[in-house]
Amino acid sequence: MQDNIAGGGVAAGGKQHQPISKGADYQSVMKRLQSELMALMMRGDPGVSAFPEGDNILCWKGTITGGKDTVYEGMIYKLSLSFSTEYPFKPPKVKFENTCFHPNVDLCGNICLDILQDKWSSAYDVRSILLSIQSLLGEPNNDSPLNSQAAALWANQEEFKKMVEKLYKPA
Amino acid sequence: MLYNPGILDSLSKQSIDDILHSWGAFVYCCEVLFGGNGDISAASELSNSVSVLQRYGLRGLMEDYFLQYLEDTFMKRVVVKFWHHFDKYSDVPISDVKKDQILVDQLQAALSKSLEEICSVKNYQEKCLVILIHALQFYGDNIEKGKLKSGQQESNLLSRYHLMVSSVFLTTLPSHFPEVLRLYFMNKLEELNTIIAINYDGLESLRNDRNLKYNGSDEMNIDGSHPGSTLSKNNSLVKSIGKIVLDLRNLGFTALSEDAYASSIFQLLKAKVQALALDDYRTPILQSIKEWIQAVPLQFLHALSSYLGDSFDNDSPSSDLISPLASRSLSFPGIDAPSEGLVRWKLRLEYFAYEKLQDLRIGKLFEIIVDYPDSSPAIEDLKQCLEYTGQHSKLVDSFISSLRYRLLTAGASTNDILHQYVSTIKALRTIDPTGVFLETVGEPIRDYLRGRKDTVKCIVTMLTDGSGGNPSVAGSTGDSLLEELNREAENQEIPDTDEDMNVDDKQAWVNAECWEPDPIEADPLRGSRQRGKINILEMLISIIGSKDQLVNEYRVMLAEKLLNKSDYDIDSEIRTLELLKIHFGESSMQKCEIMVNDLISSKRMNANIKASKLQPAMNDSEQAKVMSLDLIDATIISSNFWPPIQEESLSLPSHVEQLLSDYAERFHEIKAPRKLLWKKNLGIVKLELQFDDRNVEFSVTPLHAAIVMQFQEKTSWSSKSLAAAVGLPVDILHRRMAFWIGKGVITDSGGGGSDGPVFTLVDNLTNANKNCISNEIEGMDEEGESSMVSAEEQLQKEMTIYQKFIEGMLTNFGSMTLDRIHNTLKMFCVAEPSYDKSLQQLQSFLALLTAEEKLDMRDGHYFLKK
Repeated sequence: MQDNIAGGGVAAGGKQHQPISKGADYQSVMKRLQSELMALMMRGDPGVSAFPEGDNILCWKGTITGGKDTVYEGMIYKLSLSFSTEYPFKPPKVKFENTCFHPNVDLCGNICLDILQDKWSSAYDVRSILLSIQSLLGEPNNDSPLNSQAAALWANQEEFKKMVEKLYKPA
Repeated sequence: MLYNPGILDSLSKQSIDDILHSWGAFVYCCEVLFGGNGDISAASELSNSVSVLQRYGLRGLMEDYFLQYLEDTFMKRVVVKFWHHFDKYSDVPISDVKKDQILVDQLQAALSKSLEEICSVKNYQEKCLVILIHALQFYGDNIEKGKLKSGQQESNLLSRYHLMVSSVFLTTLPSHFPEVLRLYFMNKLEELNTIIAINYDGLESLRNDRNLKYNGSDEMNIDGSHPGSTLSKNNSLVKSIGKIVLDLRNLGFTALSEDAYASSIFQLLKAKVQALALDDYRTPILQSIKEWIQAVPLQFLHALSSYLGDSFDNDSPSSDLISPLASRSLSFPGIDAPSEGLVRWKLRLEYFAYEKLQDLRIGKLFEIIVDYPDSSPAIEDLKQCLEYTGQHSKLVDSFISSLRYRLLTAGASTNDILHQYVSTIKALRTIDPTGVFLETVGEPIRDYLRGRKDTVKCIVTMLTDGSGGNPSVAGSTGDSLLEELNREAENQEIPDTDEDMNVDDKQAWVNAECWEPDPIEADPLRGSRQRGKINILEMLISIIGSKDQLVNEYRVMLAEKLLNKSDYDIDSEIRTLELLKIHFGESSMQKCEIMVNDLISSKRMNANIKASKLQPAMNDSEQAKVMSLDLIDATIISSNFWPPIQEESLSLPSHVEQLLSDYAERFHEIKAPRKLLWKKNLGIVKLELQFDDRNVEFSVTPLHAAIVMQFQEKTSWSSKSLAAAVGLPVDILHRRMAFWIGKGVITDSGGGGSDGPVFTLVDNLTNANKNCISNEIEGMDEEGESSMVSAEEQLQKEMTIYQKFIEGMLTNFGSMTLDRIHNTLKMFCVAEPSYDKSLQQLQSFLALLTAEEKLDMRDGHYFLKK
């Protein structure tokens, strides 16, 4: 038996059409990242995780485990995600922290992934970035390699796996 | 000087003969004197020889010889015999002797007889000594020179003799003799005690009589003499004791005898205190102990001292020194001017009694506090004792250890612990208004209670229920702890409020005047300001940490209560709420107030809905089918302000559904745009089951009602199909079914196969079955089920979120310290529910996760367990 009071508290508030200052920007980014964090934590997707680093919510550390039945199975890769105050209208900068032998990852850890560049949309979030990178590991785009050696070796999965394991350094 | 060899040289032969002859006579006289016949006829001969020998300067030799002779005879004849009297008590333990009245009587007789004997011997010897002294003196008088010395010499010789006697006694003293003496005094004092007790009882009744006649003329009684209670020195018992003491003193046993009767008095006092301080805490006993001290030991000591003739340094001129003692008003019935010695005795005895009683009470403090309001006389006694002895720390230590041992165990229910805690607060507040000891004593209880999950719940129940769910506190039902607290608070405030002007100045001055330093035991870290008033509610809240938690729990409990109401009668809830508002403030109780107001407006709304006209579009047949809206009373809640409510899906029989939606529709008509959403699983259904042979009424939950209503259509259901019809999972249905099966309404006819057991309605009750059916109002909260999400469950939910966050951060950062986890949670776990736990709470939570093997901890760093 419940009385659902509709419209309680409508009078309060009203939309804020103030000129967007930097402070307000930061506030909204913070809010968005906080809710993303909450969602990420509560979903608890296996194999991907991220968490703000230190006291700055714009810098996150991410963790990706290599997908099953790929050459990266069992590997744990660390990522760094750094958001700008224009997030989510601009994508965050994402890099591998430990060496990842992969056609689309260069030796510095930079990633070539479309959604992190021109295909970015504000509908994406941390979780979708992490999942995309996780699937990129198993399905590289060999047409635009950052690491041509890796792209060349990809055809030979056994050799490739040896190479991955040789270069792998746990973070 | 005496053995000067020059003198020997100058002696002529004749003188030597003279000396030898006289010495012979002297020795002979001694033998005659101490021959044991008591023959003092040789005295004149002695004096002759003494004068001769003294002339030759052999006085010292004579004295030495004489004393030596005395000692030998004394030793041989008397002392050995004297101790022999007591030989038989040496092997027997004193405790055995005590029990045996014959032995005791023998002992008394032997003691007085042997003492008499030995004293007569001593007197005789003293007499002989006096003869010698006279003889010596006689010569001295002749010579004139010794005149001045004579008096001195006499006392000199006598004191040498006394010294000799007591040293002989003390060196031969058998170790059990002090015990024997003590036993003797003990016995005599007990006798005395019974005599006085008889007189005293008579006196008591006399006094009561008088009190009836002249109300309040008690002082007269104290000042007036009580012939019965006063021991005169002529009392035969006192006389015989006095004689023994005198004899013992005569033998140089002054200290020994005093020690013996003092220790007997103390033993008697101890026994008296123990006898009075039985396990009855409802009567104050301190006063009667004090009266007894005055009536028995002090009377005895007074009588004894006046018999002995020495009055404990009576009226010593240095009375300035005893000012602390004199400041106490002392009244000794029947004794005019108490001597200083007696005052000392009184203080000694009282201190002993206080200490003894205090020890006894402290040992039983736990029990005393268990029956606290009844045992307040014992607490009052203890308070006085402690004021006297100042041994509060003893109390604290002993009480804490008994708390640990007896209360703070897994077996004690939280309710009992809380009740004991409250009683402890009240009791210790009496003993120590500053609250210093309470702080120390309360700490272990608080610590322990913090570890219990149901503490908050119990406290809230105690506050709102009065009895606190404790059946032993009957009679206080409906009279909650909170109201009691409120009454107390009011009583305390009254004196403060009736001063109007200058309150601050005056109060400050008064405060300054009555300032006292904190007791040394006080914890200097806590300001004394906090101490002043001891607020039981504060102390209860301090267990939980914050009042928010308490308010939250109260809200859940209130919601539960309100939802289970069927008559909108919430007077008692309103009263409790008002009281809580006084203590916790309006704002924190706001949600609760809205809940209560919901109930009030529900009542109005319910009446309005029923009063609104029925839709005309119904024909008669429909009317008959549809149940009247009068059957429903709704509680309409504003769910935003209520604690989360347990949801349970439930499908009701269609006509009931219809009724509910009608009701909701009318609500919408009246209160548009608001809509009514039913929580179908809450509330009470009163129903009557009609069987062939009987009608039975029940008040049950909607779930139970929905189940049993299904049997109207079909008397037998398989559990699977019934579960589908009611809209419940099968396992829950089984649990609910147990209620009806227990009532004998439905049986589990077994069988079934894949659809589970089959339930069948029982139409006819056999007589045997009838007994187990009663019309009780039951089935409300079986198995402790609750319609509210308990505060504990809410906490659990929060903790799950934190766990996810912790797991997330550890995945990305590897290992983290407690501090870092705490800070990270504080920073990023900000959405509802935001992280508001203390470091300690987090630590225990992490410990829990570690125990569940989810985390690992090494060197202060937490890891995810892989």
